[in-house]
Amino acid sequence: LYSTNNSAQKSDSTKETTSTEKGKSVAPEDVRTKRRELSSSKYESASYQLPKWKEALGEFVISTLNLDMDKVRAGPIAGSYYYSICKEQGLQYEDEPLSKTAKFFYEDLKLPKTFSQWYQITILHEWMLFVRMRAMPFKYGKNYQQKLVDRTFADIEKRLYDEMNVHSGRITDQYLKDFNSQLRGAVFAYDEGFFSGDAALASAIWRNLFGGKKNIDMVHLEAMVRYVRAQLYVLSKLSDREFAMGEFKFVPPDESVEILTPEQEKSLKEKVVAKYEAVDANPNALPSEKSKFSYTN
Amino acid sequence: MSQATKESAKQLVKLLEKFPKERVKHLISFKESQLDRFRPVAGIETGSASEQSKPSLAEIKDIINRTSGPLGLKKDLLKKVQEALPEEHFNDTQIQEQIRSLNAIMSDKYKNYYAVGDKLYKPAGNPIYYKRLHDEIEGKGKETFFTAMRTVVFGK
Repeated sequence: LYSTNNSAQKSDSTKETTSTEKGKSVAPEDVRTKRRELSSSKYESASYQLPKWKEALGEFVISTLNLDMDKVRAGPIAGSYYYSICKEQGLQYEDEPLSKTAKFFYEDLKLPKTFSQWYQITILHEWMLFVRMRAMPFKYGKNYQQKLVDRTFADIEKRLYDEMNVHSGRITDQYLKDFNSQLRGAVFAYDEGFFSGDAALASAIWRNLFGGKKNIDMVHLEAMVRYVRAQLYVLSKLSDREFAMGEFKFVPPDESVEILTPEQEKSLKEKVVAKYEAVDANPNALPSEKSKFSYTN
Repeated sequence: MSQATKESAKQLVKLLEKFPKERVKHLISFKESQLDRFRPVAGIETGSASEQSKPSLAEIKDIINRTSGPLGLKKDLLKKVQEALPEEHFNDTQIQEQIRSLNAIMSDKYKNYYAVGDKLYKPAGNPIYYKRLHDEIEGKGKETFFTAMRTVVFGK
């Protein structure tokens, strides 16, 4: 349904596109590039466009059954899109060059290039999204969190099998349990740090992300505290509607976040209100585009 | 080691001593481990301070029940890794950098600069979430069986 939303915006394009898209949607032969994707499902590839008849059927089902799109959207937005942006932050493969963000974590901060380290980087980013999700209406925020966690563990299970060559179900389960307790501990520690102050947040980051290593460079620790607080600041400025629609991406570590002046904030807010007022007022808006989330908060 | 380095390290140790204590006991403490690391640089004897902070038997039991070590690492090994002090050489500027960063962290520089306000501190979906967590850690408002069950059933 995420693809539905995307293609809905480009609804002017005619049948021509469907035939050309067909070639793109075929999964690439190369195993390496295939693995990097979220899943082998064509619906999750960025280039895929839903055939018009499927789109129409989808919209028909949504409007007849009167589906709550805010609930339905949690899967594609939190489970697929938000997980993908958390996952790619620390993603690294042995014989491939590191991405820009991965370079920050593995080269600048000198973190070890391991699977557990990747996991720690991922859950730090997930936690930042959790903080924002808690500020959504309870029922929906909880659902978004659930979808994000579900997807994380489904993906880890797959990666353990494919990439780490863990072929025993029992051992995989043990790892998953371990990862689960790490997630709970990290979320608790980050929550405490977020609420009580930078010192507590720094110790939480040191214990989890840096694995409690003794020869930590405080400059690195400060950089991480700043990084986390900056992302949370950006998240706090997004309205529920924007966040729920997946209009967020993490600020890269080599860019710095400036505080908005009251005028800038006002004009940004006005733009958002105008955008979503137009969507809500549009009588031809597709059922899948509708949302009850507030765009003014 | 030069005298200037020693003096800076002393400053750093003083600063670290003011670092707030962790409210929940963990396997390792940031404050203690850093004090152990910089005290020798400052020429201050270690031992007495870390002896005081040794967790009691009840605390160790609590920690073991709550946490498990990183994947594939045995707990005693983890401890050995922690205790092995890597050979480090500092100069004055390095230590001054550490002091600057630590000062920024301890003065809540980024919490105040990137202020997120009540929107995130009292999240609409669950306004008492952080307060409850904080009260529990501080020991102000203890959770009872009934409040716990309420969370299990209703999610908040």
